[in-house]
Amino acid sequence: MHPEVVVPDKADDVKLVERIAGGDADALGELYDRYGRVAFGVLYRMLPGPEAAEEVAQDAFHSVWRQARSYRAERGSVRTWLLAICRNAAIDWRRTRGKRLEREVTIEAAAELLSDAKVDERVVDRLRAAHVRAVVGQLPREQREVLALAFWGGYSQSEIAARTGTPLGTVKSRVRLAMNKLRESLEDER
Amino acid sequence: MNQERHPTEDLPAYALGALDRDEREVIARHIETCATCARDLAQFEEALFEAAAVGAVNVDPPTDLRTRIVLRHRGARVPSATSWSDRAIEFLRSPVPAAVPIALAILLVVALGVVGASRQQADSYARALAGVADGRVVALAPTGANPDARAAVVIPTQGSPYLIVRLPAPPTGKAWEAWVLKAGSSGPVAVPAGTAERGDVFTLSLSAPLGAGEGVAITLEPASGSAQPTTQPVLLVEKT
Repeated sequence: MHPEVVVPDKADDVKLVERIAGGDADALGELYDRYGRVAFGVLYRMLPGPEAAEEVAQDAFHSVWRQARSYRAERGSVRTWLLAICRNAAIDWRRTRGKRLEREVTIEAAAELLSDAKVDERVVDRLRAAHVRAVVGQLPREQREVLALAFWGGYSQSEIAARTGTPLGTVKSRVRLAMNKLRESLEDER
Repeated sequence: MNQERHPTEDLPAYALGALDRDEREVIARHIETCATCARDLAQFEEALFEAAAVGAVNVDPPTDLRTRIVLRHRGARVPSATSWSDRAIEFLRSPVPAAVPIALAILLVVALGVVGASRQQADSYARALAGVADGRVVALAPTGANPDARAAVVIPTQGSPYLIVRLPAPPTGKAWEAWVLKAGSSGPVAVPAGTAERGDVFTLSLSAPLGAGEGVAITLEPASGSAQPTTQPVLLVEKT
């Protein structure tokens, strides 16, 4: 039998960030308890190996510490804020610290937005994860591919166009359609 | 709300991080002053990062990562949230005594020098790491004594492991000393592995053998070196 999974409450998340903003390092640890695993999992997929993911995870939580006072709840959830910080830290790593060959994630490796891995239910509960999978699964393959290449691979629209031999206008259109669909479908039941 | 054209078409790609640098900067500036686009962006990001959370690899982070993150920040100061632009506006609105501009001009020159030197150090460190041709690179974590300290162990496919380090110059009579942490019956045993009396960005060859999975630490010691660490590590990785 699985232990009961408690999905963090958004208001509690905001209180945690307020404590971090007040200089409470233990609150940073509690935020790590909630989202450290998924943050590491995102970085692990964006970067070439566990060492890089570990290094960038530390940088990202340091950025959380530094930016805690700038967090604005009306601009998004703590989970999104933290994962955006992780994504930006990974992009920085790729540009400045990654060895030349490591900076690039191959088109094949990045080409699918979702993985088959079990989701951390403290971050997204099982039903919601199934819904997200269904929404993403309904996107045309080409749209899923551009999302994945941009997000996991770090490719810009013009790079995707060049590497896949697709007209830039088509890539832009696929990004727009896919993101709008994600937004509409995932916002509805939130 | 500002009067520019809303970048509605490009906002999804901006949220996705798929714009080139110039396009990104234009939209970032717009969002700072446009509540409508900021709200739209937030909705795109909520959806995208929820999908990312489902798409993440389900893998255990290193067991000591939480401890290192917390220890690094215990007792550290949280920077002010007020943006530089807000602070500049606030400053310009306040009355200024006559001597202040001169003092500020001097401070600005000094500050520019410090910032320039600091950025140069960060760039040199990044270049040094980027120049590693092969092998494995394992970062040491700053422990809080010097949050800006950086070091990484380079374990080449051929040849001896070495450190790439970014640290300030040690005080007179002191040196940075590297240690290889070997497993002992009652905890890790620190074996001296070289000293450096310099600062900035430098490399330091490990004079002690580094076995698979052994840790590395750097402490501040007397320039003559110590047989055992006498201060807390400024940089540490428990397992390479």
